[in-house]
Amino acid sequence: MFRFVTRYIGFLKSVPTLGWLFDGLLKLWAFFTQPSLLDWMDEIETEVLKWKRTTSSIHKYGGMQFNYKGKEIGHIHSNGLLNMLLNRSVKAQLMLDDRISDHHTFKNTGWISFYIRTVEDKEYALKLLRKGYEKLIEKDRYADRCLADWGPTGQVNAIAYC
Amino acid sequence: MLKKNLFRNLKAYCISNFFAVGIIAINKYFIVDSHVNVGGVFAFSEFIIVPILMGIISAWFWRDMNLSSGELTGKSLLNGCVTIVLASIFLGEGVICLIIVSPLLFGSIITGAFIGRAMFRRNNNTLNVSIIGLMLAIFVADSLYAHHYENMVSDTIIVNAPPQQVWKNVVAFKRIKEKNKYWLFRIGMPSPVESTVEGYYLGAKRKCIFSNGYTFDEKIVTYDENKNLTFAITNQPRDPEIMGHIDIEQGQFLLKDNGNGTTTLIGNSWYKLYVFPTWYYDTWAQSITRNVHLRVMEHIKELSETK
Repeated sequence: MFRFVTRYIGFLKSVPTLGWLFDGLLKLWAFFTQPSLLDWMDEIETEVLKWKRTTSSIHKYGGMQFNYKGKEIGHIHSNGLLNMLLNRSVKAQLMLDDRISDHHTFKNTGWISFYIRTVEDKEYALKLLRKGYEKLIEKDRYADRCLADWGPTGQVNAIAYC
Repeated sequence: MLKKNLFRNLKAYCISNFFAVGIIAINKYFIVDSHVNVGGVFAFSEFIIVPILMGIISAWFWRDMNLSSGELTGKSLLNGCVTIVLASIFLGEGVICLIIVSPLLFGSIITGAFIGRAMFRRNNNTLNVSIIGLMLAIFVADSLYAHHYENMVSDTIIVNAPPQQVWKNVVAFKRIKEKNKYWLFRIGMPSPVESTVEGYYLGAKRKCIFSNGYTFDEKIVTYDENKNLTFAITNQPRDPEIMGHIDIEQGQFLLKDNGNGTTTLIGNSWYKLYVFPTWYYDTWAQSITRNVHLRVMEHIKELSETK
């Protein structure tokens, strides 16, 4: 159903609130068919929010989004689909495990998709989110180092080259 | 604690639903009715913004209960059920209408409850007031906007008989005995069963009778024998399922002689919708109209092909 909607009427997600509405229906579906999924999503949220400087918000197309210093780590739609941005090399490495797949719409990018269907999947989703979180921390540190290397007068160059 | 939570739940269900009833009543009688003649329109905001606000209101009463996502979804589902019962009592909505509206309603109430949970967790009053203010502004703007939507649905089938043989069954046809295939007809939505006509001429009165006995009164406005039968709907039944939601304005059957003993039969219907958003309701309207067409046209095909 989710694949059908994203494939054939996915363009409607730009209609304000429609993505949220669809995600609300996914929650209702999960409530009847796999109530534990909603609990796992809560557990993931609780765990991620323990990490420093993380927040959760509602994703623009519906679902739970996790952020580090306001930047998105990843988001989970209410059918258990985790989408997140890694880099291509990490993605290629993870693809070898055959657990993640290309993002359902952004193929050939660093975006990945992973379906949470079991309690083991929940643990794996947390590992993936941790990778995303660490990637953002590393990126942040690199930017800080770069800024420090260029010094206070070279901030324009730092922004351009880092 | 149990008593306290019960009281919170009651407040959440009652106040959110009173809010919805109140705002829809204000909208219906003071704003929207100024634009239309027939029973007002139900605007997009009444099916989406109001339920989202209901969800937010209920989340405010549940904010200290530390509900899991499952519990929040379950309670929102119950809230939606209360709304549906109220809609059937106060708005006189029929079962089929309520089935059609329920995905929008439940989806929006659940969405609102989760938005509310996120809002009240942050406890940023400025942000919260801005969100609610923005939604109310959208609601007012949408209510003041003149809604008008008309559409036409067209369906085609091939009948293995010449137009002369098909024509008499197009103008009027005997009772349909075939079982309904379309799921909404199967669960009780009235389906067309018979068509009668007072004569085979321009201006003749025609009746399209539905399974529940309701009748659409029609008048033939184009009578081009073996080619074109167009009829205007002069009166449609006061059925709560359609009243104030859709007006069928005109119907048409076009017959094209394929020159090989077969006829292409085209059924067209024009309708006006009074429920919005159209991306949702027009999908249903098209599906229902299409299935009305197909039921009638397949019957015409069967009658015409019977030797």
